[in-house]
Amino acid sequence: MPTVAVPHLRAIEGTCTPVGHAAIQRAGSGGLRATEHRLGNGLRLVLSEDHLTPVAAVCLWYDVGSRQEVSGRTGLAHLFEHLMFQGSAQVKGNGHFELVQGAGGSLNGSTSFERTNYYETMPAHQLELALWLEADRMGSLLAALDEESLQNQRDVVKNERRQRYDNVPYGTAFERLTALAYPEGHPYHHTPIGSMADLDAVTLDDARAFFRANYAPDNAVLAVAGDIDPEQTRRWAEKYFGSIPSHGGKVPPRDGTLPGIIGAELRVEIQEEVPARALMAAYRMPRDGTRECDAADVALTVLGDGLSSRLYNRLVRRDRTAISAGFGLLRLAGAPSLGWLDVKASGDAGIPEIGAAVDEELARLGVQAPTAEEMERAQALLERGWLDRLSTAAGRADALCRYTVLFGDPQLAFTAIDRLLDITAGEIQAIAAARLRPGNRAVLVYDRVPAVGTAAGQASQAAAGENGQPEGARP
Amino acid sequence: MTDAAVTMDFHPQPAPGQPRPWAFPTPERGGLGNGLATLRCHRPGQQVVAVEICLSVPLDVEPDGLDGIATVMVDALSEGTAQHTAEEFAAELERCGATLRAHADYLGARVSLEVPVSRLARALALLAEALRAPAFAASEIDRLVRNRLDEIPLELANPARRAARQLSRELFPASSRLSRPRKGSEDTVARIDAAAVRALYQAHVRPATATAVIVGDLTGTDLDAVLAGTLGGWTGAAAEPPPTPPVTADDTGRVVIVDRPGAVQTQLLIGRTGPDRHDRVWPALVLGTYCLGGTLTSRLDRVLREEKGYTYGVRAFEQVLRSPAPGAPDTAAGASVLAISGSVDTASTGPALNDLRAVLHTLAADGLTQAERDTAVQNLVGVAPLEYERAAPVANTLADQVEQHLPDDYQAQLYARLPGTGTAEATATVVAAFPENRLVTILVGDASQIEGPVQAAGLGDVGVVPG
Repeated sequence: MPTVAVPHLRAIEGTCTPVGHAAIQRAGSGGLRATEHRLGNGLRLVLSEDHLTPVAAVCLWYDVGSRQEVSGRTGLAHLFEHLMFQGSAQVKGNGHFELVQGAGGSLNGSTSFERTNYYETMPAHQLELALWLEADRMGSLLAALDEESLQNQRDVVKNERRQRYDNVPYGTAFERLTALAYPEGHPYHHTPIGSMADLDAVTLDDARAFFRANYAPDNAVLAVAGDIDPEQTRRWAEKYFGSIPSHGGKVPPRDGTLPGIIGAELRVEIQEEVPARALMAAYRMPRDGTRECDAADVALTVLGDGLSSRLYNRLVRRDRTAISAGFGLLRLAGAPSLGWLDVKASGDAGIPEIGAAVDEELARLGVQAPTAEEMERAQALLERGWLDRLSTAAGRADALCRYTVLFGDPQLAFTAIDRLLDITAGEIQAIAAARLRPGNRAVLVYDRVPAVGTAAGQASQAAAGENGQPEGARP
Repeated sequence: MTDAAVTMDFHPQPAPGQPRPWAFPTPERGGLGNGLATLRCHRPGQQVVAVEICLSVPLDVEPDGLDGIATVMVDALSEGTAQHTAEEFAAELERCGATLRAHADYLGARVSLEVPVSRLARALALLAEALRAPAFAASEIDRLVRNRLDEIPLELANPARRAARQLSRELFPASSRLSRPRKGSEDTVARIDAAAVRALYQAHVRPATATAVIVGDLTGTDLDAVLAGTLGGWTGAAAEPPPTPPVTADDTGRVVIVDRPGAVQTQLLIGRTGPDRHDRVWPALVLGTYCLGGTLTSRLDRVLREEKGYTYGVRAFEQVLRSPAPGAPDTAAGASVLAISGSVDTASTGPALNDLRAVLHTLAADGLTQAERDTAVQNLVGVAPLEYERAAPVANTLADQVEQHLPDDYQAQLYARLPGTGTAEATATVVAAFPENRLVTILVGDASQIEGPVQAAGLGDVGVVPG
């Protein structure tokens, strides 16, 4: 099957190291349960017990992301996430990684607009170690944080930026479109990776101040899922985290409210040496946590998810003007969500022709509700997405953290699919009519610079095998 | 550090609890009346079932001048059948919540299905239809060929993909399929048509040389009945699987710079060939390679990332390319690519190569420590329950075993053998696998910036090719 370029919405968040993770029961509430507790210092604890396989997942979300960054310090939240792996009072140097991996666990962290998360997936008998490690850095990171770690991780993050954004075709599309879709000065105007100049400017004092402002038990949610003893886990959480003082002084993030509709199309066209012309767009969509946001999710699934969506059928199968066509929802709770369109042109097809077909399909959904078969397809794909997400202990812990941090209720994780399946065809048509309009989008067009002589021809001749994508070692 | 006053109560590092038993799942082997071999595996709680169909279509069977046709053929299986148009077929699958992916590789071709168990029977019926009665309509083949031609420049623009292509071209002789792109090049793909695709299908796709792997929560599913009613209806004559041609490789130490003027990073891919999994050194190779470059606390990243900050991460890995059944008549030896891969900022290219060499040199001179070997074993064996939580990775590993002619308990045995592999053996194996003067170094980056420092690094002759 041809590759489908559904935007990798999770992959565009800043992350620390590539580590795979992901999946139990039906996607709805069936079989899964979670309990919620609160420690004296304000740390919220969510526990979900099952005994399918001897794995326990720890996930810790701090309610801080790139939206808390100030002008001149973009990228600080993500750089700080890296510093969290550089040791704390009782954990030397890279000890966090060494101890977890030596225990047969896997771990990582990631930073997005509105949260920073850290996670360890452990063989069940090593759960206590992960809790000890997370507590140590929550309570004592500043005892170990020094200039040498900062300098080193600044260089690592700058290389992460080069590798993932600056040295790959279309790599900067996400930050360009985000900057268009959210106005100057808006907390979501810049993306978590930050700018090189701002990364260079970060000082040790900035990092310390960021920790003091945001890293505290009353600004975090700890979820533990999998093969656990809930009573024992509560005792451990109390033992290791219970004495960490809360600070109660968190500055709330700046308001991300914007009008429902952008009002006029914002457009940037760039000429770059890209391998294919591309049409990308970000539509302003309802905030996560609303029924309209769920309607938008189903609408974009009808239009742009999978290999038989309206846009795929139109552009790739019938018009044959594109090699990929995807449309997906980047859900955001503190600002409008983004509907993310990504089309890569085929051969000599022009952007105006592709753009006109996209507009026609979007307008059509506004006047013609999805058919019963289209609804069945979208619902099956969305249900599948939730089954995948909940099929690992780590996925369950992450979902529980998400709904607790953003909406105050972990149980919403288990009913998310029910809310999606409740959306009607009429609601989809309504959201499409209201939101999927040219006046409600930021557009980014990539056009090719004229070809330069023989280089392209020679490159294809030099082509050979495909060995050698780096992956983690696996026996 | 007075401003870092710590007020929490500290506790000593906790000891682990009692390990809970876990073993890599043992599949049940069987077969259908049409000759299709089956491997099934019940994984409690895994509601998304993974199905892998292994087809005996290694890239060596592609006709001369038609590199890439196996990829087009397996992709085309789901682009319309005798019963459904391409668009209908895709929609039917997605109404099951199913995803179907196909992949043709040097070892063989695979069709991979994932679907919620509630709709397994429906999805398997569609999969059987695709295998039994693909339409291979000229207009769909034409579309796939054109899409493939469009994708080639997209892939080549990616520095990691470009480096991989150059390494294959350097390591293997032009006559070997291994030297040429897995999915073909512009001239070979452009020649592919529906008749050639159908001919390849008729010659090599049949149940008698195929295996179906089914993994997931099969409680309440009458899998025998479901299989009989779906894949059981696929027919074809018996046939022997194709032979494996021999491999030669040139690992003379040398450097090829793929020139990308203005690139802000240099992509490194440094490799040579090694054995396949049948070789008894495999566990030691896995262990040693992990210690060298398996994670950010391995030797390479400890220096290149965590000390110097040259990179977001460098990994060492092995990838099997040839794995004939041992003892079969006329079989050639197995082979893999062993490599180190990562990217460094342009200005750090020379220093990074020097440090990388120093890491290999120190490893050869002083060997691995007992402690790092122990940690590696604990990680490689310990993460298995995590890695194999979902159905798909289990199905994938079982299908890899089939494709590589390994016994069904190979992975389970590997976990048993790793703890018995000593430090000296792991050292000797990884040092032999990555000899510092017999490695082919591919650098995708700005030649005008890096050629001088690379010459000075002494990795062998340096050539430059256009990007």
